Amino acid sequence: MATDAKTMFTMGVELQLLPCDPQDINTQRCRIGPFLMTSLRLNIGTPVLISTPGGSCLCTAWPRRDLAEGYFQFDPKCATPNFSSPTREASPFKCQNIRPLNCPKLKRVKVNVVVKSTELKKRMSSLLIHDFVKEILSGVHVHERHVITLSSFESEMTYIYIENANSGSTKAGLVTEKTCVEIAGVITVAEHRRRVAQESPTMSLGGMEDVYASLKELIHLPLFYPKTLSKLGVLCPRGVLLVGPPGVGKTMLVQSVVKEVAATLVTINGPVILGSRPGESEENLRAMFHQAQAASEEGPCVLFIDEIDSLCPKRAGSSNAPENRVVAQLLTLMDGISSRGHFVTIGATNQPDTLDPALRRPGRFDREVIIGVPTLTQRKSILECLSKKMPMSSSVDLIALAEVTTGYVGADLSALCREAALRAILHSSEGSDGKAIEMHHFHEALKRVQPSCLRSSIGLTDYKPVSWEQIGGLADVKLKLKQSIEWPMKYPESFVRLGLSRPRGVLLYGPPGCAKTTLVKAAATSSHCAFLSVSGADLFSPFVGDSEKALAQLFRQARACAPSIVFLDEVDSILGSRGDARVAHSVQAQVLSVLLNELDGVGLKTAERRGPQRKLCESEEHPGSQQEQQMEFHEVCNKDVMVVAATNRPETLDSALMRPGRLDKIIYVPPPDHEARLAILRLCTEKMPLDPDVCLEELASQTSLFSGADLENLCKEAALLTLHEQSMEASRVQQKYFNKVLQNTKPSLSAQQIHVNSCEIIFK
Amino acid sequence: MAQTVISLCHQHLKKCFQTLEMTNKAWNLVLAECTPLISSLGNLGEQLRALDNVQLDLTPLHRFPDLKERLRFKLLQAVDVVLCKLTDKVDELQKLLKTLNNQVSTAFQFYEHNTDTLDLATCTLRSATSPSIADMLEWLQDAHNYYCSQFRRRKYLLQVLRPDDLVFMEEVSKRWESFYSADGEEHIEDTLSRVCLFVDS
Amino acid sequence: MDENVTPGRKGNLTGSARKLKDNAADWHNFILKWERLNDEGSAHATKIVNLVLSKESAKETTLLPGADQSDTGLSVADTSSVPSSRTELFTDLEEECTKLQEIVEKMAHIVSKMEKIVSSEKGICDLETFQFGAKGRDCPLFLTWSTSQFVDVSSRLYGCYRQELALKQLILRQLAHTSDPQLSMVYLSAWLYQPYIDDKTKLLLESLLLETGHRT
Repeated sequence: MATDAKTMFTMGVELQLLPCDPQDINTQRCRIGPFLMTSLRLNIGTPVLISTPGGSCLCTAWPRRDLAEGYFQFDPKCATPNFSSPTREASPFKCQNIRPLNCPKLKRVKVNVVVKSTELKKRMSSLLIHDFVKEILSGVHVHERHVITLSSFESEMTYIYIENANSGSTKAGLVTEKTCVEIAGVITVAEHRRRVAQESPTMSLGGMEDVYASLKELIHLPLFYPKTLSKLGVLCPRGVLLVGPPGVGKTMLVQSVVKEVAATLVTINGPVILGSRPGESEENLRAMFHQAQAASEEGPCVLFIDEIDSLCPKRAGSSNAPENRVVAQLLTLMDGISSRGHFVTIGATNQPDTLDPALRRPGRFDREVIIGVPTLTQRKSILECLSKKMPMSSSVDLIALAEVTTGYVGADLSALCREAALRAILHSSEGSDGKAIEMHHFHEALKRVQPSCLRSSIGLTDYKPVSWEQIGGLADVKLKLKQSIEWPMKYPESFVRLGLSRPRGVLLYGPPGCAKTTLVKAAATSSHCAFLSVSGADLFSPFVGDSEKALAQLFRQARACAPSIVFLDEVDSILGSRGDARVAHSVQAQVLSVLLNELDGVGLKTAERRGPQRKLCESEEHPGSQQEQQMEFHEVCNKDVMVVAATNRPETLDSALMRPGRLDKIIYVPPPDHEARLAILRLCTEKMPLDPDVCLEELASQTSLFSGADLENLCKEAALLTLHEQSMEASRVQQKYFNKVLQNTKPSLSAQQIHVNSCEIIFK
Repeated sequence: MAQTVISLCHQHLKKCFQTLEMTNKAWNLVLAECTPLISSLGNLGEQLRALDNVQLDLTPLHRFPDLKERLRFKLLQAVDVVLCKLTDKVDELQKLLKTLNNQVSTAFQFYEHNTDTLDLATCTLRSATSPSIADMLEWLQDAHNYYCSQFRRRKYLLQVLRPDDLVFMEEVSKRWESFYSADGEEHIEDTLSRVCLFVDS
Repeated sequence: MDENVTPGRKGNLTGSARKLKDNAADWHNFILKWERLNDEGSAHATKIVNLVLSKESAKETTLLPGADQSDTGLSVADTSSVPSSRTELFTDLEEECTKLQEIVEKMAHIVSKMEKIVSSEKGICDLETFQFGAKGRDCPLFLTWSTSQFVDVSSRLYGCYRQELALKQLILRQLAHTSDPQLSMVYLSAWLYQPYIDDKTKLLLESLLLETGHRT
């Protein structure tokens, strides 16, 4: 009964954790009050396993010297790797976390010796190491997969990692003089850390299977089969350059691959290497290579140079001598590898063009792996990876999400998921447990997270989504637009089936104020693609060549997040005509030639390649669902940028722009006719309380030559007039006010303008 | 029954402390014998280094072309002799350690076999004439650990010593002396003085 | 064992054998004496080096610290023996040099005696050639060695010591004029460890003693 009572008492006891006494350091003792020891049924020297949030630790129980209760101290001599003792501030230590452990005398124990450097191996024969380890371990209680920390004086050894005890049949035990100690290996601290890290769960990478496999093979070959390669008389590739825009996961890919092939990773961060002292940078660089060299003597090693462009700019371009020296040093070091070490160098950059060309030749960076902005399927698999750890509600449709996230790179998608999760947390009020992330959380997050490849883009506009219904009339134009923009994006498979090629560009022309811009916005909204809009003011810059560069940049970004729409508003102001003799060689002419080039799209730049090249095979059986199958179509067919231009002066445009293959679909947006006007008026007055005497029909018939903008203005004015004439409390807009406004307004269009506009193209 | 177990336990502990006292004296004696040997090692290292550093061709000694090799051989031979002597000394230390180890583990075994009688209350009981059993076991373990680590360090130092590593050779005496731990020695002395009444009783 | 020249019975030995055996004993004694002189000289040499070095840097009394007196080591920095004033220093230095010179002279004397042994043994050998022809005598004088082997061994021993003497004479001349502590260190260790007297020398002496019956 007494012991039961004691046990009851122990269950809830919380102990205050104190740091280990200096005398107890390296003794494997833990100090407990004698009363608690008795109630836990511990004797002096009984081995106990102490579990903490950071791992566990094997100690022997000893009564406190001062016999005081309520405190707890221990020496983590034998603990799990990465064990960190809980701090005093942490919550009180519960005594349930101390439990006795049966530690029989061990017959054999298998260990890894962790040394500071490989020096020890050279100094001591394996027999001596064995004796030494045995002496150190004898009398020590060990636990499998724990690490014995050696006191700082114990030579170059730092840890002894216990692989197993009694060949795995026992978890823990006491090493005696009779225990057979087997040394599985002598490894360096770096190697040990790597092995420990390897046991932790691996990172998941979505949508990079191809790049991953090719990179893995590259690392595998020279590292694991050097002899085979030399037999074949082939020099194995030693350098890989990873090229891709920021955030696609270059660094993560390398880390993941390195972990997979169990190699040591030595990372050089470009900016970190650079020192202010002359020669310091080179010195650092040499030190890193030396480190990799040393690591490669033990096992496979990868030297990863992140942001290599910062380290290795074009030498000719910079007159800066220190930088040139760093480049030269890097080249020398990279050449030096082949003769000595067996490690692979991986460089990562998002600006391959700024690299010194000498780096990009076989023998240095033999291969270049290009990681583009993820395609639809890649995005889907990235999202799948990311959402694995998140509680997702069934409403979340990852495919739909992948579709709307054009231009998002891995980092963006993870930011998106984070944001969505955050939304979910904020939304679910404190009481409710339902923390599952719903689709609408993602939609909200989408508004906040912009694709990074569009960030800082000149063309990025923050437009309010416009639905087709918000545009009155123009049913014919809408249909044409849908045909040429929305359909190819949404139903690429039908286009392929019928052998239809999609238009490359669309020109909208028509009198001003007739909803050309709004129409394009509606098209972009309904087809869920990236929308880049640019007007003359965005492009022009006082510096020579800047405008052309800006336009080229715009298209590059548009391609990066294809499918996308590039909208050139007021294209006449951007381009002008080449035929116009007065402005020969003007900026406009040059911008025009850039645009023509981009429209023809003479091949992608290599660095812009995205995803694996796939062909559609109709015969092939698609294993996936209908939806997935459709997704593949999307991916194969939607790689283009749709250019939409709008102008109200089509006659000033260069004719070269309008030949098939460029802006091949030309749509006239006419001023609204009676029907259209009526529809527009209805839309405009939808939120206006109208007096029953208001007759929109009549208004529509009275407003010929009024553009959509005019009509909107008319309604606004009428409402204002109501407030002015009546009082602020006016509740209805009456017909008379419409009539009054109508009398004072002139339509913005003239009959002649309309005539010109409608005939122009036909005669061209 | 309990009293007999306690007194038996005390007997074991007394024997341990007697051994400890003996070990302590013998240990320091052996170490004292090592000191000149170790400093010779350092000295030989210095001489070897001087031989390496001086370009004999540029000195009057150029008349003796094979001098360098011969002298180096002689010096290395001397190093070998000293190392042999030191190894013998370390073996003596090991013997001392083993005796202590046997004694201490016997005492621990006795305790472990009699934990029923020797409960914690009994073990933590201190009296005017004798420290508590727990204290004494702790001191014995401390002392044993101390000698073990002392032995290990010194043995290791000699084992990794290579006559061709001149820097190491010159440092050897400094390192050897760095192993001396005033705290550790003091702890042993403290222990012995604390138990002297108990051992004599 | 040859019955008429049993090594144990000294009285029985006559002529060449007698002479050879006496020579062997002389070798033993000379070498012992040499070793004694060497140790003595080593102490003096060490003092000289210390004095020279303290002269070089009067500020620092010791230039090579940390070396304790030991059985094999060379104490280069023995502070107690370093006098403070410079004049005292010079007289001390001169005194030590004279002592070392005396020792080297004694060594030279020993080596000259060694040379005499070699020439006497050569004489014995010549005598044998005269008595027995080019082939020498049929049975060895002692256990197995022919007479010419004695000459060989003696001249090799002599060669070692002559070389060693030359080295020591050089050290004597240079030691007080060397300010480079490293070089001084080399001189000292060369003095102490006698590089030209190697294990083979000892082996030769031991086999000589064994052959002539001094060691059994």
